[in-house]
Amino acid sequence: MRRVAVVGAGMTPFREHFGLGIKDLVPMAVSEMAAHVDKGLDRADIQAAWFGELSTTDGFPSGILADTCGLLDIPVTRVENACATGNDAVRNATYAVASGAVDVALVVGADKVRESSARSTFWEWAGMTRDTAWDYPLGLVAPANFALHVARYLHESPATREHMAMVAVKNHRHALPNPKAQLRFEITIEQVLAAPTVVEPFGLYDCTPQSDGAAALLLVGEEVVDRYTDRPVWVRGVGLGLDRVMHQHKRDMTSFPPTVKAARAAYAMAGIGPNDIDVAEVHDCFSGVEMISYEDLGFAERFGAYKLLENGETTVGGRLPVNPSGGLKAKGHPPGATGVAQCVELFEQLRGEAANQVDKARIGLAHNIGGPTAVSAVTVLGIGKD
Amino acid sequence: MSRVTAVGTVLPVWTDGRQRVAGIDEDAVTLAVAAARQALDLAGDGARVDRVVLVSRDLPLLEGGNAAPLLAGIGIADSVPVVEQVGGAPALLDAVAGAVPGTLVVAADLVSAGAGAVLVGDTGPELTLRGRVVRSMPVRARAADGVVREYDDTRLVWEQGVRRSVEQLELTEKPVVVAGLNAKQADQLCSATPPRLATTGAASAIFALAALTEAGPGIVLAVEQASVTAVHVDGIPEVSRLAPPACPVPRTRDNPGPDISISLAAYDRAFEPKLRWEAGSCDECGTLALPPRHRCLSCGSEAGWSLVPLPRTGEVYTGVTVHVPVPGLPTPYSLVIVQLDGVDVRTLVRVTGVEAGTTQIGDRGALVFRKVATRSGIPDYGYAFLPAEVTGQDARQREEALA
Repeated sequence: MRRVAVVGAGMTPFREHFGLGIKDLVPMAVSEMAAHVDKGLDRADIQAAWFGELSTTDGFPSGILADTCGLLDIPVTRVENACATGNDAVRNATYAVASGAVDVALVVGADKVRESSARSTFWEWAGMTRDTAWDYPLGLVAPANFALHVARYLHESPATREHMAMVAVKNHRHALPNPKAQLRFEITIEQVLAAPTVVEPFGLYDCTPQSDGAAALLLVGEEVVDRYTDRPVWVRGVGLGLDRVMHQHKRDMTSFPPTVKAARAAYAMAGIGPNDIDVAEVHDCFSGVEMISYEDLGFAERFGAYKLLENGETTVGGRLPVNPSGGLKAKGHPPGATGVAQCVELFEQLRGEAANQVDKARIGLAHNIGGPTAVSAVTVLGIGKD
Repeated sequence: MSRVTAVGTVLPVWTDGRQRVAGIDEDAVTLAVAAARQALDLAGDGARVDRVVLVSRDLPLLEGGNAAPLLAGIGIADSVPVVEQVGGAPALLDAVAGAVPGTLVVAADLVSAGAGAVLVGDTGPELTLRGRVVRSMPVRARAADGVVREYDDTRLVWEQGVRRSVEQLELTEKPVVVAGLNAKQADQLCSATPPRLATTGAASAIFALAALTEAGPGIVLAVEQASVTAVHVDGIPEVSRLAPPACPVPRTRDNPGPDISISLAAYDRAFEPKLRWEAGSCDECGTLALPPRHRCLSCGSEAGWSLVPLPRTGEVYTGVTVHVPVPGLPTPYSLVIVQLDGVDVRTLVRVTGVEAGTTQIGDRGALVFRKVATRSGIPDYGYAFLPAEVTGQDARQREEALA
């Protein structure tokens, strides 16, 4: 397979975009991406598009992308893979370009979470992702899915709620300089611990906000990179992993096996290991999930995630900054857009253009987990081809 | 004449300060199931049930049926006939007095809440009808619309209803226990102070039979408004009671929202394992799967599976408590994943019988039949985790688990 580069990236701010529909956000993200292609983009060059949207808002997703972006003459494929949707859209487009079938591919991710009332979202999403007879009627709302894992993790590991709070405090601080982030204010550990409980052990500040937004990337084959930029970012590895869909069937709930599998695949394709990562965007929909993911991604030993937080290793300036954008926790989480936006952040980090720049970042990793906790996608980007 | 082979009674754990009340996951069917299992456990493995009579004025569904969930929850074959009878305490005694051996008569009341079950068989004391009077004095009425209308005259129903009907029975001896009346009224009809009963509806007649362990053999009188039935019981029946200490109903927040929808296709597919507490056992390798599944979790066989009963005790592997308002559900509530004893099966269920947030990883308890939710107006029955602390059965469960 040939090498694939990212040559353009853009996104809308992540917000409660009450005034904007999916038909506004998608073309806005694509236009921002196009405006940031160093040598310009003629839309007629785009040969195919992959669109990650978890929910369906205002109609059929592929058609909305083609229609609203003026791309009526190319094939558009909708990707839906729970919270791993964004990075899986990147993965699918990467394979299309790598195979030589397509030279220039568009990747878009978007979701409009705030199209339904704040509370009804729970049931709408639960209805899509739970076993209808066995789990749905229990009231297994999204935070509870992850809390079942984190409660067991806190039971078995030395980590505490204070360590979870450190994740939230760090990611809020990271979001401060990011104009695209939804929650740009600092919080303290005391505030996190004193916040109203959402689902024990998660307080309000342990949870991602409900967000709307869209993000876009331009992926091209190595033969045509020069047409668009002299500073490409290369797709070094992609991976996707799955697990049993019902919590009852997951053997060890202190780990997310999909992440382990996705990361293994992405590292192998990139020919690197976790120690080679300079910056990472990790799925922190709930603070404790970032901790478990450190271990699943190989950043920390089993039950050793708390040490990275205590030592500040994952803060910008530390050994391996995680979520310099603010992460899902503070940047926001419109699920289909989330993974694509992580790659937008890495594109800027690896080119030295990020709002919250990590020094000398050469290899970055993006990670999603969802499904509930049954699918993960990992993407590794780098400024060198190898 | 009937023989009272076994009596089981059940009280819900909750009280509103004056009386026992059903929890949000309890209704007449779940209470009746609990009482029936109590009676059948007492009767032992050889007990035969050929027909079931459910007596209540609080049947959850008037159309749609309560019989199948009742049989499934009790663990009786779906070939057994069920009579769903709307009635009070006299109707219950009538049902027992007229029952043939192999009849399980079950009753449940919601206010005050409690349930009982009587297995009529070939052993136990003889119960004989002594008289019956059926009269109309509807000081409390509830039509098909469910609205209760009360005619506020307690002296009328006492003087012109109860007393007149009891006189009409021409009993040769006074009752030893009275069902369907409050304690003060019951006192006036007996020579010695009769045992106080937990409920006043259909189930109260079964609590009355159970109270013979205290009152001794004699006349049991059941009253509902102006209708009365009297039976004589010539001995003391075998009784098994589940009467956990009463706890105040936890404060919950009601969150307005749409009724959560139901798929009756999915309801139907899940019904047997979900209500009978059974797993699919792989026909090739015997691996258990809950819910049952086409392809075996272990060996990958798609050759088929058979339903087998699951253990009803286990230990909490992990758990959470939902505090955030969820539309249509009272919050907070706790969810746990329970590792069942002796099998490689875990289950995700609600916690019942204790305040939300009080169950910890490692806690032991039982899986009990409850109403998991009401969906599009349909009671959605399944199982919930009852911590051992509620029933004090932890030690016994440990022994059973080891055995």
